[in-house]
Amino acid sequence: MNETTHPPLRADLRDALARAVHQVNTVVLGKPHEVRLAFVCLLAGGHLLIEDLPGIGKTTLAHALAATLGLGFQRVQFTSDLLPSDIIGVGIYEREAGVFKFHPGPLFTQLLLADEINRAMPKTQSALLEAMAEGQVTVDGTTHRLAPPFFVVATQNPLDLAGTWPLPDSQLDRFMLRMSLGYPDRDAERAMLGASDRRDVIAALAPCLGPDRILELRQACAAVLASPALIEYVQALLAASRDHPEIRVGLSPRAGLALLAAARAHALLAGRAHCVPEDVQAVFPFVAGHRLGLGANARIDRTRLVAQLLEATPVR
Amino acid sequence: MADQLDRQQFERTAIAVAATIATHAAHLPPWLTAGLAAAIGLRLFARRRGSATISSWTRVLLTALLLVVVATRYGNVFGRLPGTALACGLLGLKLFETERTRDARVALCFSGFVLMSSLLFSQALSFSLFVGGVLVLILGALATLQPAPLPTRRPLRADLRIAATLLAASVPLGLAAFALLPRLQAPLWGSRDDGIGRTGLSETMAPGQFSQLMQDDSPAFRVEFASAKRPPNAALYFRTIVLTDFDGTTWTRRFGSDRGVPTPAARGRTFDYTVTLEATDRRWLPALDLPLFAPPGARLDDDQMLIAARPVNQPREYQLRSDVDTHAEPSLDRRERLPMLRLPSGYGPQARALAQRWREQAKDDQGVVRAALAMFRGSFTYTLSPPPLARDSVDDFLFGSRQGFCEHYASAFVFLMRAAGIPARVVTGYQGGWWSGDYLLVRQSDAHAWAEIWRDGSGWQRVDPTAAVSPARVELGAPDANNVQAWFGAEWLREVRNRFDAVNRLWTLSVVQFDAMSQRNLLSSLGISAAAQGDLLLMLSTVLGVAMLLAAAWAMRDTRARRGDALDHAWRGFRARLARAGVDDRAAEGPLDLRVRLHATAPDIARAVDPLVSEYVALRYGTAQPAASRIADLARRLRSVRLPRARRGALRRTGIQVRRVP
Repeated sequence: MNETTHPPLRADLRDALARAVHQVNTVVLGKPHEVRLAFVCLLAGGHLLIEDLPGIGKTTLAHALAATLGLGFQRVQFTSDLLPSDIIGVGIYEREAGVFKFHPGPLFTQLLLADEINRAMPKTQSALLEAMAEGQVTVDGTTHRLAPPFFVVATQNPLDLAGTWPLPDSQLDRFMLRMSLGYPDRDAERAMLGASDRRDVIAALAPCLGPDRILELRQACAAVLASPALIEYVQALLAASRDHPEIRVGLSPRAGLALLAAARAHALLAGRAHCVPEDVQAVFPFVAGHRLGLGANARIDRTRLVAQLLEATPVR
Repeated sequence: MADQLDRQQFERTAIAVAATIATHAAHLPPWLTAGLAAAIGLRLFARRRGSATISSWTRVLLTALLLVVVATRYGNVFGRLPGTALACGLLGLKLFETERTRDARVALCFSGFVLMSSLLFSQALSFSLFVGGVLVLILGALATLQPAPLPTRRPLRADLRIAATLLAASVPLGLAAFALLPRLQAPLWGSRDDGIGRTGLSETMAPGQFSQLMQDDSPAFRVEFASAKRPPNAALYFRTIVLTDFDGTTWTRRFGSDRGVPTPAARGRTFDYTVTLEATDRRWLPALDLPLFAPPGARLDDDQMLIAARPVNQPREYQLRSDVDTHAEPSLDRRERLPMLRLPSGYGPQARALAQRWREQAKDDQGVVRAALAMFRGSFTYTLSPPPLARDSVDDFLFGSRQGFCEHYASAFVFLMRAAGIPARVVTGYQGGWWSGDYLLVRQSDAHAWAEIWRDGSGWQRVDPTAAVSPARVELGAPDANNVQAWFGAEWLREVRNRFDAVNRLWTLSVVQFDAMSQRNLLSSLGISAAAQGDLLLMLSTVLGVAMLLAAAWAMRDTRARRGDALDHAWRGFRARLARAGVDDRAAEGPLDLRVRLHATAPDIARAVDPLVSEYVALRYGTAQPAASRIADLARRLRSVRLPRARRGALRRTGIQVRRVP
């Protein structure tokens, strides 16, 4: 659906992106929408939180992304005894040189899969989230930059809450998108059961993009036009969330920025050089869902609330 | 459930209902008011706590209880008082089953009715303003119930502003209806049969009976003199009721004896004036002593009392001429003389003895009168809070307490005169008043009682024994003469109250009293004479129609002024046309989703519309500043694209919402 006279991307970049999306879809079966959201998050420069049950394919998605994107990949299984230094790294005294040498932790990568992030204690969570926000870490007074692109895919199990520290609202805000995968549909599941091991499939994947191309894509993403009318629409959505009586804390301006960035990425993935309200609507539930602070005795779930906000805000 | 009331909606409804019931508080039994207030308070508290709803059994029981208590209190459930008590009770109980928007609407509409019924009890300006305020509350609560596209927090101010705007918008309509709706000769709701809430002179007089009246500042009537010449304050006696029979405690009117006493002839200073009497529910009409004729619809009886043919149950205006110097009835025959001398046996032995003594000492009647007034002047005090009197009120007053106000003095004086053989009677009415610009305001607190004695040759002559005790009472009026009410004497306060009365009078004259006659006058002053009621209705409907059209234009102007530029306008118009073609208009649907939906449900329309949607998207979202020429071009194309009209309904049913753009 190409509405624009100027193609937003160079042909090779566009093709590579399309190939990448397609390739991930061959691994994660039957989840095109979720895969697109993961790419939205990547292109918009955000981080992704996947909330779902174990065995649904969260890790597969992350692996497939890493392999397809051609990014350095690290996986950290968060546990209650995980310390900040376990992920950031630690300075070790080297006798020969007589200095402390920084040994970078798994954080120093390009795609980090933080599994079951809510199992770690708040201190560790907060170290990770700080790194996500700042794009750098400071150890022993030395600041170490994380090489862009730095993309975190965190997962958490929303049901098994015993012995976890749920992320506070302020921390959830660090994730641009939160989504769940859900069970695959019947056809996808049959295909998956009948096919070979996913790990083998992933090992066979060829990288389609690379760090440079991803950065280039991110630049193109930022250049996608959000017209005054569209920005007004985004504003109306933010205002609606702040006026809703069931919502204690409405969407913040940061949420508005995230929404706009995600909408731009969504437009770029659709091959458009400008955002339309449909882009905003497509990403809104995943941008807004985890940022709405519900009232103490709200009688409505987030999904319905978000749908209600979309339903009630006229498009301009 | 979207239909469930949220806390804010319920509370505003409850407050509007409570305020409505408050307008009836003056005449509801206190236990009912208190009970309803407690019930509403409890309900508010319970809802705040999120307690369970009230079972239907409890509600039925409460309703039955209400019926029983109202029926036992009033004897029945019909009529103005039991009716409003019942209505208020039901309104309060309605909150017990108000859970959903629909219930709240019913409660509020019923509030409107109950509020209107409060005007049956009072139509004073201040009360009407109060009622208007409550109406704003009710409308504000209704505005709160209005479904919003999204449940939103609604600031009370905003809703009250909506209510006030609605009310203001209805004013022209209300005025038109007020001026043009055919007036009935009598109030729609019949006469004030029970006379509740009316104070004023009664047709009897017993010691202490006036005390309450004296504290009542409400206006009794207003007098406007035809010429600039005003009677002196000392002549401002408004005779109202003449009392002749005394049973030792209470003075009463005698049963009418219509001998056809000739109307008194003008002898001295005559005054033409118009009296505007507040509703009294009784038939007597006050008149400046002594009226020379009766106004239409009333007669002048043997005691020179003006009696109306029907009770005055709404403010009444009448023209009169009085002569302040004349005396009525030049002759008094034996048959008439006797009742004026009759005294109850067994009462006032000391007073009788005293009167006999005076009779023997004095040369003539005048001497007896002088002796009595001299006694009052000597050792009596004027007070509005005298001690209660014993059974033999006359002796106890004359020889015991020696404290009292007009009615004590008038009563004792007439008793003494009769005991001395002089025909005498008690007259009650009003004395004094307050000059407000061109009219005289007489309040209930100006109520007064005086005596009339018969003098051969000149007739009935007014004697005011109170004046002997407290000349200030006659010169200044009761409130000034009486230091018990010193708090009331604050000059500025009285000034304010009196100014307020001028406004009140205007209200009474122009609104409350606006009847069929005033309507004719008003219309004829507008050049419409002898308007038949049918014509009035026609005019009213014309005015209503014009008002509706204006309101519609106003409302449409409002939607047109909604935010948006020429492109929005063109697009909105196009969506409206699509809606008429059967593609329902979803405000939250983007143009691309619309196109997807059209392809799915109405391919023929979709083909025609496709390029237009693309162009709209390009202009609206594809560029920051769309060129005016392209907008104009698109607008023209959007207007001229052909859309079928036939497929209504079918499309709406099949319309599926597609949100995702591939």
